[in-house]
Amino acid sequence: MSTARRRSVTKTHERIGQLGWEPTHHQPATNYPTRYKFPAKAKDPMKQIMREYLPMQLEKDERVYGGFDAAVRANMGNKAEQRWLEVLKPFVHTTTYLEGCAGRVMSMLLDTVPNDELRNGYHVQFVDELRHIGMQQSLARFYTKNAPNPYGWDMGWKYYVGSPLTRAGYNMSTHSIVGDPVYCGMSMMTVLETAFTNIAFVALPDVGARNGDFTLPTTYSSAQSDEARHISNGYATLMTLLQEDANIPLIEQDLPSAWWTNHAFIDPFAGVLVEYFSKDRSDQESYLQKWDRWINDDYYKSYIEQLGKLGLNMSADAFKEARERIVTGLIHRTAIFAFAIWPLAYWRFDGLTERDFEWLEARYPGWYDEYGMLWEGFNALKDPREGALFLQGFLENASPICWSCMMQCLGDHDQLYRVVDGRTRFYCSEMCKHNDEAYPGRYTGDRQFFDRYHGWNLADVVRDIGFVREDGKTLVGQPHLDDDLPLWTLDDLEACGCEVISPNIRTAEEMGLPNGSWHDAGDPDGAVVPSERGYVQHSIGPDGLETGPGMRSNGNREGRRNVAEVIR
Amino acid sequence: MSTPTPPVKRFEQPSAGRAEDDARRGFLYFTPKKRRPSLYEELTIDTQISTERHLQGGWLVAFEDGRGSHSLGSTALRVADWFEWRDPAELWERPFYQQAAQAAREQDAAVAAARSEGLFARMTDGWRQFLQSSLQLPAFYEHGLWRALCGAARPALSDLVTHAIVLEAAMKQRQAQDLVVYAMDLEPDIGECSTEAARTRWLEEPAWQPVRALVERVASVHDWMERVIATNLCIEPLVGNLLRREMLLVPASANGDPVTPVIIGNAQREWLWVREWTPELVRFCVEDEDFGDHNRDVLTEWTQSWNAEAEAAVDAGVEVVKAVPAPRARPAREALEQVRRERDQLQSALQRKEVTA
Repeated sequence: MSTARRRSVTKTHERIGQLGWEPTHHQPATNYPTRYKFPAKAKDPMKQIMREYLPMQLEKDERVYGGFDAAVRANMGNKAEQRWLEVLKPFVHTTTYLEGCAGRVMSMLLDTVPNDELRNGYHVQFVDELRHIGMQQSLARFYTKNAPNPYGWDMGWKYYVGSPLTRAGYNMSTHSIVGDPVYCGMSMMTVLETAFTNIAFVALPDVGARNGDFTLPTTYSSAQSDEARHISNGYATLMTLLQEDANIPLIEQDLPSAWWTNHAFIDPFAGVLVEYFSKDRSDQESYLQKWDRWINDDYYKSYIEQLGKLGLNMSADAFKEARERIVTGLIHRTAIFAFAIWPLAYWRFDGLTERDFEWLEARYPGWYDEYGMLWEGFNALKDPREGALFLQGFLENASPICWSCMMQCLGDHDQLYRVVDGRTRFYCSEMCKHNDEAYPGRYTGDRQFFDRYHGWNLADVVRDIGFVREDGKTLVGQPHLDDDLPLWTLDDLEACGCEVISPNIRTAEEMGLPNGSWHDAGDPDGAVVPSERGYVQHSIGPDGLETGPGMRSNGNREGRRNVAEVIR
Repeated sequence: MSTPTPPVKRFEQPSAGRAEDDARRGFLYFTPKKRRPSLYEELTIDTQISTERHLQGGWLVAFEDGRGSHSLGSTALRVADWFEWRDPAELWERPFYQQAAQAAREQDAAVAAARSEGLFARMTDGWRQFLQSSLQLPAFYEHGLWRALCGAARPALSDLVTHAIVLEAAMKQRQAQDLVVYAMDLEPDIGECSTEAARTRWLEEPAWQPVRALVERVASVHDWMERVIATNLCIEPLVGNLLRREMLLVPASANGDPVTPVIIGNAQREWLWVREWTPELVRFCVEDEDFGDHNRDVLTEWTQSWNAEAEAAVDAGVEVVKAVPAPRARPAREALEQVRRERDQLQSALQRKEVTA
């Protein structure tokens, strides 16, 4: 039987490239205007053609889904370390939402960037991202059906935006679909995909394999094989932008901003997963060493620094500062805070053992002296019959939550803050402060979890966010994996009498600053800032889309448009 | 003698953990359409975060002009919950790649077989010349709709709708590229099939300008649902079917071309999917308890307006079909009447159902 002749990819790409044209009868509309200018010429360096692309992706799909079948037959759900399997709940949800954002920002760019070669690359990436969503949701489904503890997976997407720990991840990811589409594109392609997928999709699955989990590496390695294409899209976009001098100051502002936003969540999140949820201790590398390999060497030095040769004056400060924060304990301090607020998580925590202490001490000399007693304390209170919570007393001393990145303000520097319309916002870093000031109106919503629940009994908070099993009493989050210990219930929490104290409200009071709360009982979507609301003047496009039934008469002229503005 | 009992595979413990937890081994954060959630539902729903669903406290990040992550005002249509809509074919990435890769393989196999048997030489002369000059023109039409659909995916108000739009766009892009690839494959056998010349005709020839204007117009619309409705309810049934089926698929067979029917056959199979989910989306909008009447008004206005624009383009399209070499299956006007009937049938989802006692 005859076979198809092999076509030249270059020639085919050149021919299909002729399908694009500049519209002259009607100008394309965009719902996502950009400050950036695009030159006429750009290149899709990957020469992506559907004919080559589709069979390749199908082959990769078959391998991934075959891997799930193999994992069922191998009874992997029972064999992998449960400590590891538990923390995959927030991890898989975070990456799956990110995949959705990666697809959607491609749609924004497709509507905004006037170049068909780039658009072709963006579109192929959007289809890739649907593939990643399918694979990662399938992985979540596999764990739900086969891992020992289905609680948390069962209500996954509801819990993901309910826990203060994962809401910060939602906040980070959303920066890639809300804002100037080019900023969003850089955040996704030039930062997340070029820098951080190496950590999340390569280094972290390696830890998974060490813990007996081979479905996670199978899934994420397959996703990572698409990332080369996405990194290439980011590079092509950047090279195109650099042809216009007017874009240079914009990139110099936006790229470090996007870098910081993603670092501020991913580094502490991935670092805690790698160092505090691995039962296996065969890995000789600390998170900092992985970071130096994958981020400092492979991204910063070989990519970002090289942009200087292309006319960009990129300050190294944001990159150096990120590393310095990891060196000075960002991950360790985040870890103990995350463990302390375990009732507000939807996975189970496994307290550290002597073996873990040794591993951490060997990589971070002095670790035990600084953090050891806290971990001993956590372990001492994992049994509900002790009648006490590790969290009690913890929030009274906790540092505030950052307005921008929604992570804890953990630096040793003086507490950063600014007062806006009579309320105080705290920041974890100068970059997060800058990210709020330089992009006014960006941060909205009832974003400070502890402000919202300030003064509440912790049991009522858990009830309110719904992190309770279907028996109506057992908590979804637990501070242990021990079958011999009872599981915590709402009654146990009630008995502890733990009152939630917002670190932000408390710190503002201690520092003599104006109101530290951004929760407004009368506004379910958070305290609206009048000065920033005034900043909003225009609607999108001239066609009156924002009017019609279901919309409040005063809603669209004043700013935010969301469900709260809809009359049912 | 009795036959031995066949071996039975037994699982002592089908899954790890406690048996009483097995009721929780599913995704319980959404309400499935049927008694049990489908795989499509489990892999799709809620991967797009929404204040309409589980996100409390409003959007956490806003656009410069104050819009949240997704804006209900991004379309003139209103429904109680966009996440309630389902694609009746339940297409997600894996079956998409299976079907789309199969289409690619079928085209390659058809070209290889035709070449091997010398079938390209047996096509009529007129058809060969027509392929050289006109095969790739519909590719520009498909590419234009691809462009419009891509932009509709970001503002779409649920992951279920987004999936359908993105996959349709991917089909459009492949359909456009398939024609160019076929033209390249034909060149060793029938001579030059210039994409550049087709492009010039697409950009300059008067007969094609109404079609080009039509697809450019779709991308000029802000409302993402209007783009979907214009494409799938008004343009594709009329112009798409005329170009693909009446200009290429049917006459190709009559002119001895064995490959074009394979390519367009796959495109038309994908159209059947669109023809199924779009009326379902229309039905979903017009049957909304609170906003059904409003939606019917908006959709009626859109279809009237887009039908008129599509008719202007299809008048030019008829001239193109008339140029298809004989033996044609039937007169162009007859073909036009059929696609009009099919369009009207498709749009009947908009009509108010008679209430019977």
